[in-house]
Amino acid sequence: MKLISNRLFAAALFAGAAFLFAPQAWAGSCCGGGGGATLLLPKFYQDMVDVSFDMEQYDGFWNQDGKYTSDPPGSDIRQYRLNIGAARRLASRWQTSIVIPYVWNENKYSGLSSRSDGLGDTTLNLWYEAIDDKSAWKIREFKDLTPSITIGPSLLVPTGISPYDNVNSSFDVTGRGFYRLDGNAVISKTIHPWSASVSLSYGTYVGRSVNEEYGKYVEPYRKNLGDRSSASVSLSYIYYIGSAGSTLTGSGSFSYLHEDDAEINGNRQLLSGFEKNAFGAGIAYSSTDHDWVIRGSWSHAIQRNGWGANFPTTDVYTAGVSYGFR
Amino acid sequence: MVSVNALALFLMLMMFIGCGNTLNDLNPSGSDKRPAVQSGTDGPAVGQNAPDFTISDTLGTGVTLSSVLTGTAVDGVVLYFTMWCPTCDIHMSNMRSTEIPNFPNVRFFAIDYVSGSVAEARSEELANGYAGSGFTVLADTHQSVLGLYQATMGSTIVIDRSGVVRMNEDYKDGVRLQTVLSGLP
Repeated sequence: MKLISNRLFAAALFAGAAFLFAPQAWAGSCCGGGGGATLLLPKFYQDMVDVSFDMEQYDGFWNQDGKYTSDPPGSDIRQYRLNIGAARRLASRWQTSIVIPYVWNENKYSGLSSRSDGLGDTTLNLWYEAIDDKSAWKIREFKDLTPSITIGPSLLVPTGISPYDNVNSSFDVTGRGFYRLDGNAVISKTIHPWSASVSLSYGTYVGRSVNEEYGKYVEPYRKNLGDRSSASVSLSYIYYIGSAGSTLTGSGSFSYLHEDDAEINGNRQLLSGFEKNAFGAGIAYSSTDHDWVIRGSWSHAIQRNGWGANFPTTDVYTAGVSYGFR
Repeated sequence: MVSVNALALFLMLMMFIGCGNTLNDLNPSGSDKRPAVQSGTDGPAVGQNAPDFTISDTLGTGVTLSSVLTGTAVDGVVLYFTMWCPTCDIHMSNMRSTEIPNFPNVRFFAIDYVSGSVAEARSEELANGYAGSGFTVLADTHQSVLGLYQATMGSTIVIDRSGVVRMNEDYKDGVRLQTVLSGLP
């Protein structure tokens, strides 16, 4: 009985994780990016592989004052990302993962069109499961409300194509060009059939020298991007299909992202930071043995004034599948 | 477990194989690699003679670079390449509030290289609030000027009145542009 309970609990976490860590789309051929992702291995699993595919549709932007502005008429700007990831448990409370995106940019304007592809930036993660969810089934006493807390650093490695590489056009960009170290925390509580999560992250880039811009050598300078903070909250409902134990989980989320202004040669680059708010929804199917999870999600940036600044407004559609090894 | 190990190895391999074009990001260099340029030659590099061009502004009037440079009281020309994106908007907005008022003898051109017609370029100029801004918006509908100057989004080119390129790089924070404009002969 305890084994079954553990497996159901794991399944719930598995499904929740699929939503929590769907690749976040901070990409944009105009503004750098390439996606990023985090995998979190559920309890009782040793390894996991995950493959997902994103389609990000650009539709306007918020300017520096937060005013929503449409893209030029006739434009159709998209980015596709294939994210391949693997996670491994290192010890009972420690786990690590890697996610590598491959990116395709498609830019069509009334006067020109462009296609390019390349690796995006790679994400490496290390997680420590600090506190376990005490009770996912019934609340009898106050301590049963204890959520799970998972913390850990992640490193963004600039394997993508950045403006500082030997490329000709901003349309070819698939990465930011900077290392970034993040501190992450995930707080999650399940009381069946509901599950709620909060994800927090704060990251700082590693400054670098630049001597090339879009394939042209320039007078060298030192640049650093601004610190980045992000948060997301999600609420999920877990529905058990029949008596075999497979589940269908529906989820809604809200995410916030902010990046401070960059610096060039130690001087603040005014208005180079940005902000984005987005709502998301998704659904995940977990197989009877809970080893397989198939998911789909949609993230939508609100195309209204004040919901972001200096950033494209996009819709991100994601389909993914993961398999866990016990 | 073997399959996960294999996948992890594959991912690592893919990461490093794919990094052939990104070594400058993984291990950035601060050395000055700008090639020596022979003065008197035509081209987009700093020190070369700026390639001449004629394209239409958003009102349908032809603009020729060499004619602008020989106009009265013109110290130089700034070409800024825009695709009407958030970064472009910040750069242009910053130029409008800082460089344009401070350098009245410099002509500022915003080159729209994504619109397919003069009418569409005019529409974008109006929609983004740059009509009467101090920029003359040019419609590079066939990306001819983009190609001549090997430019992309945010490329900022300064040409002095003798027709020599003084700057060709990303706008960034505008500090470099101000320095170059201040040093125009």
